Amino acid sequence: MSTHTSSTQGLPFSPLRGSPLSASPKGQLNSSKYPYRVFLGLARWWRAVVEQSPQYLSAVLGAIPFLALVAIVIILFHEAFPAIKVNGGGFVTHSKWSVGSEYANPIRRDGVATPVGATYGAWPLILGTLEASALALIIAVPVSLLSALIVVEKLSARASRWVGVFLEILVGIPSVIYGLWGALTLGPFLAHHLAPIANHIPNVPILRFFRGPTYNGEGLLTAGVVLGIMIIPIIASTARDLIRQVPASLKDGGRAIGMTDFEVSRKVIWPWIKSGIVGATFLGLGRALGETMAVLMTCGAVLGTTAHSIFSNMNTIAATIVSQLDSAQTDGTGFAVRSLAELGCILIVITLICNIGAKLLLSRATHDTTTT
Amino acid sequence: MEITKDKAITQLDNFANVNQLLVAESPKAINVCDFTGRFHGRTVVDNINLEISDGSITAIVGPSGCGKSTFLRSINRMNDRISGWSRQGSIELYGEQVYANDVELLSLRRRVGMVFQRPNPFPMSIEENIACGVRAHRLAPRSHMKDIVRARLEEVGLWKAVSGRLKESPFQLSGGQQQLLCLARALAVQPEVLLLDEPTSSLDPISTQAVEELLKEFVPELTIVIVTHNLAQAKRIADNVAFFMNGSLVEFGSCEQIFDSPKEPETAKYVSGIFG
Repeated sequence: MSTHTSSTQGLPFSPLRGSPLSASPKGQLNSSKYPYRVFLGLARWWRAVVEQSPQYLSAVLGAIPFLALVAIVIILFHEAFPAIKVNGGGFVTHSKWSVGSEYANPIRRDGVATPVGATYGAWPLILGTLEASALALIIAVPVSLLSALIVVEKLSARASRWVGVFLEILVGIPSVIYGLWGALTLGPFLAHHLAPIANHIPNVPILRFFRGPTYNGEGLLTAGVVLGIMIIPIIASTARDLIRQVPASLKDGGRAIGMTDFEVSRKVIWPWIKSGIVGATFLGLGRALGETMAVLMTCGAVLGTTAHSIFSNMNTIAATIVSQLDSAQTDGTGFAVRSLAELGCILIVITLICNIGAKLLLSRATHDTTTT
Repeated sequence: MEITKDKAITQLDNFANVNQLLVAESPKAINVCDFTGRFHGRTVVDNINLEISDGSITAIVGPSGCGKSTFLRSINRMNDRISGWSRQGSIELYGEQVYANDVELLSLRRRVGMVFQRPNPFPMSIEENIACGVRAHRLAPRSHMKDIVRARLEEVGLWKAVSGRLKESPFQLSGGQQQLLCLARALAVQPEVLLLDEPTSSLDPISTQAVEELLKEFVPELTIVIVTHNLAQAKRIADNVAFFMNGSLVEFGSCEQIFDSPKEPETAKYVSGIFG
């Protein structure tokens, strides 16, 4: 509709004219009280562009994120396709990871040139990714939920604002800093203080997983804890927003029949937020699955074997892609890089499933709130 | 003035008799004494003195923002958690200080139930909505729960409508049914006093009538205090009416007296619809 009106009202995109729908009077905009008139002019021009641009332009702009996602997936799969063909289903089930011989002449398998002895099995990496993420969730979800509850229900408005500021700062800390802390401080601490206690756990199946040699402190537990701390702000801030959305009348209702704060949390707040919390958990999971640097620095980056205990070295998909890319690029046939791309495909599929799941659950949670 | 010993004793006796008579006739459920409530120092409820007799329906009426709801919420101490709230004076519930230090909030709120302006069923099944309060106060063993749920729902006339879907969400119910469910939920913990904060303001006329008739059935077993904007409603159901304005209690009296021969000019103006 704006295209039509603009043609009668002068040049479209003219920086000199305000948009025809402009609400603010001109005198106010040109007031000498406002020293940054250049920016105001720009803002006005931008508004004119936005309001007078034809519909298809916004449709094109709006489609960019979708097209970018599709392009990334297609390109990644295209890059990985030869490796998918050669590695076959064994890629996700077996454990051996070898670039093969650099010196022997490449052989052709399924029409793809590969180094002699090249074999790729991602099972330990897939398992490691899931293990580390699961550990991170086990740590992060209860902590986030409790802290969100306390922030909303117990703290004063001022205090909870400050906590919010710190949560945002925590999100902004570069992951390499978390990794450094994990490798230099947390890992040695867990190895020296927690592992000796954990070794009192009886050496029987299942429980055996929680004891074992610690090496240098890098391993599944360290990576999991670091990841957990990294995703706490994500889950906690979503949980906080969800808890804030619980109608005050509902909490009042609970208190009015004499429920304790704990009962109000459990019986009134929790049913209201739970599907949203599942969504928030998936959001955190998405972050944990893809997190690279902090994990690489704390996991011990071992290839070809799954973790025997929470203290053993392990590896994840993302960390492997980073740590192996250099050596993969020395593979003249390019097969190693293609296998890493295949690894990337697996990661993107897992992440997409998580994110779509999160979106679906979160949107359902909001839907619940609006209909009632 | 000199009083002889005998005369004094007779007078005291008379006093005692009169008091006993009064107590026997209408014991005070709620006794409010010089009660003042403030938010951040701003007086919202100003020096209220009010006696609400047992087994009566008392309607609190007045223009918006006159402190009716705040006063109502003071009775079961729902304002305690709101930041900036402070109060002076006392409220007694059957002779016990509501604001004493050793009062257990949970048992106070069991004894003084509350129903809110908008229906606020909990996000759990219909059955669970009623059972959760009973369970929280351990009022009945688990095996009795089904009967209690049924009895409460029958009491509010909801049983027929929901008996087939006790496990379903209460948000499927109509607004009126939701409010009845909230009423049943409040009754399930066996309160002695029921506070209602404009319980029918979001309901249609037929649901409103249903709620009003229920309230009339509940007395005199229950003492009811209802805040309402609807003067006709107060006229229909109340035994006594308290008229609030600007945080103060302007006039308190029987329903007929307030509506037919108000003493204060403001009351007269309000009940005749000149303002408010």
